[in-house]
Amino acid sequence: MMYPVLGEQLKKELMDILACPICKGDLVLNIVEEDEVEIKSGTFYCSQCKEYYPVEDGIPNLIPPDIRE
Amino acid sequence: MKNKDIKNVVKKEYSTIAKNNNSCCGPVSCCGSSESPEEISKLAGYTDEDLKNVPQDSNLGLGCGNPVSLASLKKGEVVLDLGSGAGFDCFLAAEKVGDDGLVIGVDMTPDMVEKAKNNAVKDNYTNVEFRLGEIENLPLDDNSVDVVISNCVINLSLDKEKVFNDVYRVLKSNGRLVVSDIVLLQNLPEPIRNSIDAYVGCISGALKKDDYLDLIENAGFKNIQIIDESEFPHNALSSVIDEYDISRYAESIVSIKIKAIKIDSISKL
Repeated sequence: MMYPVLGEQLKKELMDILACPICKGDLVLNIVEEDEVEIKSGTFYCSQCKEYYPVEDGIPNLIPPDIRE
Repeated sequence: MKNKDIKNVVKKEYSTIAKNNNSCCGPVSCCGSSESPEEISKLAGYTDEDLKNVPQDSNLGLGCGNPVSLASLKKGEVVLDLGSGAGFDCFLAAEKVGDDGLVIGVDMTPDMVEKAKNNAVKDNYTNVEFRLGEIENLPLDDNSVDVVISNCVINLSLDKEKVFNDVYRVLKSNGRLVVSDIVLLQNLPEPIRNSIDAYVGCISGALKKDDYLDLIENAGFKNIQIIDESEFPHNALSSVIDEYDISRYAESIVSIKIKAIKIDSISKL
Protein backbone atom coordinates (compact mmCIF):
# COMPACT_ATOMS: atom_id res chain seq x y z
CA MET A 1 0.00 0.00 0.00
CA MET A 2 1.23 3.41 -0.80
CA TYR A 3 -1.35 6.07 -1.16
CA PRO A 4 -1.00 8.63 -3.89
CA VAL A 5 -2.74 10.83 -1.30
CA LEU A 6 0.26 10.42 0.93
CA GLY A 7 2.10 13.71 0.41
CA GLU A 8 5.07 13.62 -1.96
CA GLN A 9 7.38 14.40 0.91
CA LEU A 10 6.07 11.52 3.05
CA LYS A 11 6.15 9.11 0.13
CA LYS A 12 9.76 10.00 -0.46
CA GLU A 13 10.55 9.67 3.22
CA LEU A 14 8.95 6.25 3.35
CA MET A 15 10.87 4.99 0.30
CA ASP A 16 14.02 6.43 1.83
CA ILE A 17 13.73 4.47 5.05
CA LEU A 18 12.36 1.20 3.68
CA ALA A 19 15.10 -1.39 3.50
CA CYS A 20 15.68 -5.01 2.63
CA PRO A 21 14.85 -7.05 5.76
CA ILE A 22 17.95 -9.18 5.20
CA CYS A 23 20.83 -6.89 4.26
CA LYS A 24 19.11 -3.56 5.04
CA GLY A 25 20.10 -2.34 1.57
CA ASP A 26 17.97 0.00 -0.53
CA LEU A 27 14.87 -1.30 -2.27
CA VAL A 28 13.73 -0.35 -5.74
CA LEU A 29 9.98 -0.27 -6.31
CA ASN A 30 8.56 -1.57 -9.57
CA ILE A 31 4.84 -0.90 -9.99
CA VAL A 32 2.83 -3.38 -12.04
CA GLU A 33 -0.67 -2.19 -11.27
CA GLU A 34 -2.02 0.75 -9.33
CA ASP A 35 -5.29 2.57 -8.89
CA GLU A 36 -6.19 5.93 -7.37
CA VAL A 37 -5.78 4.56 -3.85
CA GLU A 38 -2.82 2.23 -3.83
CA ILE A 39 -0.23 0.16 -5.59
CA LYS A 40 -2.10 -3.08 -6.24
CA SER A 41 0.82 -5.18 -7.37
CA GLY A 42 4.49 -4.86 -8.03
CA THR A 43 7.80 -5.67 -6.41
CA PHE A 44 10.44 -4.22 -4.18
CA TYR A 45 13.84 -5.37 -5.40
CA CYS A 46 17.05 -5.55 -3.41
CA SER A 47 20.04 -5.34 -5.74
CA GLN A 48 22.46 -6.54 -3.06
CA CYS A 49 20.59 -9.73 -2.16
CA LYS A 50 19.03 -10.05 -5.62
CA GLU A 51 15.73 -10.73 -3.86
CA TYR A 52 12.26 -9.64 -4.85
CA TYR A 53 9.62 -8.68 -2.31
CA PRO A 54 6.15 -8.83 -3.83
CA VAL A 55 3.34 -6.32 -3.44
CA GLU A 56 0.16 -8.39 -3.65
CA ASP A 57 -3.39 -7.11 -3.27
CA GLY A 58 -1.97 -3.80 -2.16
CA ILE A 59 0.16 -5.31 0.61
CA PRO A 60 3.98 -5.23 0.44
CA ASN A 61 5.39 -8.50 1.73
CA LEU A 62 8.74 -7.73 3.31
CA ILE A 63 9.12 -11.07 5.08
CA PRO A 64 12.52 -12.62 4.23
CA PRO A 65 12.01 -15.11 1.37
CA ASP A 66 13.36 -18.13 3.24
CA ILE A 67 10.72 -17.80 5.92
CA ARG A 68 7.87 -16.79 3.66
CA GLU A 69 5.17 -19.40 3.36
CA MET B 1 6.60 -28.19 19.59
CA LYS B 2 9.15 -26.80 17.16
CA ASN B 3 9.61 -23.05 16.86
CA LYS B 4 8.32 -23.04 13.30
CA ASP B 5 5.17 -24.84 14.36
CA ILE B 6 4.60 -22.44 17.26
CA LYS B 7 4.94 -19.51 14.87
CA ASN B 8 2.46 -21.04 12.45
CA VAL B 9 -0.10 -21.59 15.20
CA VAL B 10 0.35 -18.00 16.42
CA LYS B 11 -0.15 -16.75 12.84
CA LYS B 12 -3.21 -18.93 12.34
CA GLU B 13 -4.87 -17.91 15.61
CA TYR B 14 -4.27 -14.19 15.06
CA SER B 15 -5.49 -14.59 11.52
CA THR B 16 -8.73 -16.02 12.89
CA ILE B 17 -8.99 -13.10 15.30
CA ALA B 18 -8.55 -10.68 12.38
CA LYS B 19 -11.27 -12.39 10.37
CA ASN B 20 -13.73 -12.68 13.25
CA ASN B 21 -13.18 -9.07 14.22
CA ASN B 22 -12.70 -9.65 17.90
CA SER B 23 -10.45 -11.23 20.45
CA CYS B 24 -12.80 -13.90 21.56
CA CYS B 25 -12.53 -16.61 18.99
CA GLY B 26 -9.33 -18.50 19.53
CA PRO B 27 -8.74 -21.14 22.14
CA VAL B 28 -7.37 -18.26 24.14
CA SER B 29 -6.27 -14.75 23.38
CA CYS B 30 -4.49 -11.94 25.15
CA CYS B 31 -7.80 -11.07 26.60
CA GLY B 32 -10.75 -13.00 27.79
CA SER B 33 -13.71 -14.65 26.29
CA SER B 34 -16.49 -12.54 27.67
CA GLU B 35 -15.56 -8.87 27.49
CA SER B 36 -15.77 -6.65 24.42
CA PRO B 37 -12.61 -5.16 22.87
CA GLU B 38 -13.74 -1.76 24.19
CA GLU B 39 -14.03 -3.01 27.77
CA ILE B 40 -10.70 -4.76 27.59
CA SER B 41 -9.06 -1.67 26.11
CA LYS B 42 -10.33 0.53 28.90
CA LEU B 43 -8.78 -1.87 31.40
CA ALA B 44 -5.54 -1.62 29.43
CA GLY B 45 -5.51 2.17 29.75
CA TYR B 46 -7.31 3.60 26.71
CA THR B 47 -9.77 6.46 27.12
CA ASP B 48 -13.23 6.77 25.59
CA GLU B 49 -11.79 9.44 23.33
CA ASP B 50 -9.05 7.07 22.11
CA LEU B 51 -11.69 4.50 21.23
CA LYS B 52 -13.88 7.04 19.47
CA ASN B 53 -11.10 8.47 17.33
CA VAL B 54 -10.00 5.34 15.47
CA PRO B 55 -11.64 3.14 12.84
CA GLN B 56 -14.11 0.89 14.61
CA ASP B 57 -12.62 -2.35 13.34
CA SER B 58 -9.09 -1.43 14.32
CA ASN B 59 -9.42 -2.23 18.02
CA LEU B 60 -9.44 -5.95 18.62
CA GLY B 61 -8.81 -5.70 22.34
CA LEU B 62 -5.46 -7.44 22.13
CA GLY B 63 -3.32 -4.93 24.00
CA CYS B 64 -2.13 -4.94 27.57
CA GLY B 65 -1.36 -1.22 27.83
CA ASN B 66 -1.55 2.02 25.88
CA PRO B 67 1.98 2.73 24.60
CA VAL B 68 0.93 5.74 22.50
CA SER B 69 -0.26 7.52 25.65
CA LEU B 70 3.17 6.99 27.23
CA ALA B 71 5.30 7.86 24.22
CA SER B 72 4.94 11.68 24.26
CA LEU B 73 4.75 11.67 20.47
CA LYS B 74 5.47 14.95 18.73
CA LYS B 75 4.33 16.36 15.41
CA GLY B 76 6.45 15.16 12.53
CA GLU B 77 7.89 12.08 14.22
CA VAL B 78 8.36 8.72 12.50
CA VAL B 79 6.77 5.92 14.55
CA LEU B 80 7.10 2.18 14.08
CA ASP B 81 4.58 -0.22 15.67
CA LEU B 82 5.76 -3.79 16.12
CA GLY B 83 2.90 -6.21 15.62
CA SER B 84 0.44 -3.59 14.47
CA GLY B 85 -2.57 -5.92 14.22
CA ALA B 86 -5.63 -4.16 12.85
CA GLY B 87 -3.92 -0.79 13.30
CA PHE B 88 -5.41 0.53 16.57
CA ASP B 89 -2.22 1.99 18.07
CA CYS B 90 -0.99 3.17 14.65
CA PHE B 91 -4.13 5.24 14.13
CA LEU B 92 -3.80 6.77 17.60
CA ALA B 93 -0.15 7.56 16.85
CA ALA B 94 -1.12 9.03 13.46
CA GLU B 95 -3.23 11.67 15.20
CA LYS B 96 -0.33 12.62 17.43
CA VAL B 97 2.39 12.92 14.77
CA GLY B 98 0.12 14.81 12.38
CA ASP B 99 0.36 15.25 8.63
CA ASP B 100 4.13 15.65 8.60
CA GLY B 101 4.69 12.54 10.69
CA LEU B 102 4.67 8.97 9.51
CA VAL B 103 3.48 5.79 11.20
CA ILE B 104 4.59 2.39 9.97
CA GLY B 105 2.94 -0.79 11.21
CA VAL B 106 4.67 -4.15 10.78
CA ASP B 107 2.87 -7.44 11.36
CA MET B 108 3.56 -11.02 10.24
CA THR B 109 -0.10 -11.99 9.82
CA PRO B 110 -1.45 -11.22 6.33
CA ASP B 111 -5.07 -11.00 7.49
CA MET B 112 -4.13 -8.41 10.11
CA VAL B 113 -2.19 -6.28 7.61
CA GLU B 114 -5.09 -6.51 5.17
CA LYS B 115 -7.54 -5.41 7.85
CA ALA B 116 -5.31 -2.56 8.99
CA LYS B 117 -4.86 -1.40 5.40
CA ASN B 118 -8.59 -1.45 4.76
CA ASN B 119 -9.17 0.57 7.93
CA ALA B 120 -6.63 3.17 6.77
CA VAL B 121 -8.19 3.46 3.32
CA LYS B 122 -11.72 3.61 4.69
CA ASP B 123 -10.93 6.43 7.11
CA ASN B 124 -8.59 8.29 4.73
CA TYR B 125 -5.45 8.14 6.81
CA THR B 126 -2.66 9.75 4.84
CA ASN B 127 0.24 9.21 7.22
CA VAL B 128 0.00 5.51 8.10
CA GLU B 129 1.46 2.57 6.19
CA PHE B 130 1.34 -1.14 6.91
CA ARG B 131 3.87 -3.77 5.90
CA LEU B 132 3.82 -7.52 6.11
CA GLY B 133 7.07 -8.23 7.89
CA GLU B 134 8.84 -9.79 10.82
CA ILE B 135 9.73 -7.86 13.93
CA GLU B 136 12.97 -9.85 14.11
CA ASN B 137 13.96 -8.68 10.60
CA LEU B 138 12.63 -5.15 10.28
CA PRO B 139 12.45 -3.82 6.71
CA LEU B 140 13.79 -0.40 7.66
CA ASP B 141 17.07 1.50 7.50
CA ASP B 142 19.40 2.00 10.43
CA ASN B 143 18.70 5.21 12.36
CA SER B 144 15.41 5.90 10.61
CA VAL B 145 12.72 5.92 13.32
CA ASP B 146 12.03 8.34 16.20
CA VAL B 147 9.83 6.07 18.29
CA VAL B 148 9.17 2.33 18.37
CA ILE B 149 5.98 1.23 20.11
CA SER B 150 4.67 -2.27 20.71
CA ASN B 151 1.68 -3.58 22.60
CA CYS B 152 1.59 -7.12 23.94
CA VAL B 153 3.44 -8.61 20.97
CA ILE B 154 7.12 -9.17 21.78
CA ASN B 155 6.18 -11.99 24.16
CA LEU B 156 5.01 -13.88 21.08
CA SER B 157 8.39 -13.65 19.34
CA LEU B 158 10.59 -16.71 19.39
CA ASP B 159 13.75 -14.56 19.25
CA LYS B 160 13.20 -11.59 21.53
CA GLU B 161 16.90 -10.74 21.62
CA LYS B 162 16.85 -10.23 17.86
CA VAL B 163 13.76 -8.04 18.17
CA PHE B 164 15.36 -5.65 20.67
CA ASN B 165 18.62 -5.56 18.73
CA ASP B 166 16.79 -4.72 15.51
CA VAL B 167 14.67 -2.08 17.26
CA TYR B 168 17.88 -0.48 18.52
CA ARG B 169 19.30 -0.53 15.00
CA VAL B 170 16.33 1.24 13.35
CA LEU B 171 15.99 3.91 16.04
CA LYS B 172 17.63 7.28 15.52
CA SER B 173 19.99 8.63 18.13
CA ASN B 174 17.84 9.69 21.12
CA GLY B 175 15.03 7.61 19.67
CA ARG B 176 12.81 5.87 22.18
CA LEU B 177 11.25 2.50 22.72
CA VAL B 178 7.89 2.44 24.49
CA VAL B 179 6.63 -1.06 25.02
CA SER B 180 3.75 -2.68 26.84
CA ASP B 181 4.13 -6.42 27.28
CA ILE B 182 3.62 -9.42 29.54
CA VAL B 183 6.46 -10.57 31.80
CA LEU B 184 6.64 -13.14 34.57
CA LEU B 185 7.72 -12.72 38.18
CA GLN B 186 8.27 -16.44 38.62
CA ASN B 187 8.52 -19.40 36.33
CA LEU B 188 5.28 -21.07 35.41
CA PRO B 189 4.82 -24.82 35.77
CA GLU B 190 5.78 -26.99 32.85
CA PRO B 191 2.28 -27.85 31.59
CA ILE B 192 1.57 -24.14 31.14
CA ARG B 193 4.99 -23.47 29.63
CA ASN B 194 4.33 -26.21 27.10
CA SER B 195 0.79 -25.11 26.30
CA ILE B 196 0.42 -23.65 22.83
CA ASP B 197 -2.87 -22.07 23.92
CA ALA B 198 -1.07 -20.26 26.71
CA TYR B 199 1.61 -19.24 24.18
CA VAL B 200 -0.95 -17.71 21.82
CA GLY B 201 -2.52 -16.09 24.89
CA CYS B 202 0.71 -14.19 25.61
CA ILE B 203 1.59 -16.16 28.74
CA SER B 204 3.97 -19.02 28.07
CA GLY B 205 6.16 -17.08 25.65
CA ALA B 206 6.62 -14.32 28.23
CA LEU B 207 10.08 -13.95 29.80
CA LYS B 208 10.97 -13.43 33.41
CA LYS B 209 10.96 -9.67 34.06
CA ASP B 210 14.70 -9.45 34.74
CA ASP B 211 15.55 -11.39 31.58
CA TYR B 212 13.32 -9.08 29.55
CA LEU B 213 14.99 -5.98 30.98
CA ASP B 214 18.43 -7.53 30.38
CA LEU B 215 17.65 -8.00 26.69
CA ILE B 216 16.73 -4.32 26.40
CA GLU B 217 19.89 -3.28 28.19
CA ASN B 218 22.10 -5.67 26.21
CA ALA B 219 20.70 -4.26 22.96
CA GLY B 220 22.31 -0.96 24.01
CA PHE B 221 19.40 0.97 25.48
CA LYS B 222 19.91 3.49 28.27
CA ASN B 223 17.58 5.19 30.75
CA ILE B 224 15.43 2.08 30.95
CA GLN B 225 12.40 2.97 33.04
CA ILE B 226 9.51 0.84 34.20
CA ILE B 227 6.63 3.25 33.89
CA ASP B 228 3.97 0.93 35.22
CA GLU B 229 3.53 -2.63 36.29
CA SER B 230 0.22 -4.29 37.02
CA GLU B 231 -1.21 -7.74 37.40
CA PHE B 232 -2.42 -9.13 34.10
CA PRO B 233 -6.22 -8.79 34.26
CA HIS B 234 -7.45 -11.94 35.88
CA ASN B 235 -10.42 -12.38 33.58
CA ALA B 236 -8.03 -12.26 30.66
CA LEU B 237 -6.76 -15.62 31.68
CA SER B 238 -10.15 -17.21 32.01
CA SER B 239 -9.96 -19.60 29.13
CA VAL B 240 -6.72 -21.17 30.23
CA ILE B 241 -7.51 -21.07 33.92
CA ASP B 242 -9.88 -23.98 33.72
CA GLU B 243 -7.38 -26.19 32.03
CA TYR B 244 -4.23 -25.32 33.93
CA ASP B 245 -5.48 -23.61 37.07
CA ILE B 246 -3.57 -20.48 36.08
CA SER B 247 -5.36 -18.39 38.70
CA ARG B 248 -2.83 -19.67 41.23
CA TYR B 249 -0.11 -18.00 39.19
CA ALA B 250 -2.01 -14.85 38.22
CA GLU B 251 0.07 -12.67 40.52
CA SER B 252 3.20 -13.76 38.70
CA ILE B 253 1.90 -12.68 35.30
CA VAL B 254 2.42 -8.97 34.94
CA SER B 255 1.64 -6.35 32.33
CA ILE B 256 4.63 -4.03 32.23
CA LYS B 257 5.20 -0.69 30.50
CA ILE B 258 8.80 0.16 29.73
CA LYS B 259 10.46 3.18 28.19
CA ALA B 260 14.08 3.19 27.01
CA ILE B 261 16.31 5.50 24.98
CA LYS B 262 18.95 4.90 22.35
CA ILE B 263 21.84 7.19 23.22
CA ASP B 264 24.37 6.77 20.47
CA SER B 265 27.19 8.74 21.96
CA ILE B 266 27.78 6.04 24.55
CA SER B 267 29.37 3.19 22.68
CA LYS B 268 27.85 -0.25 23.00
CA LEU B 269 30.05 -2.60 24.98
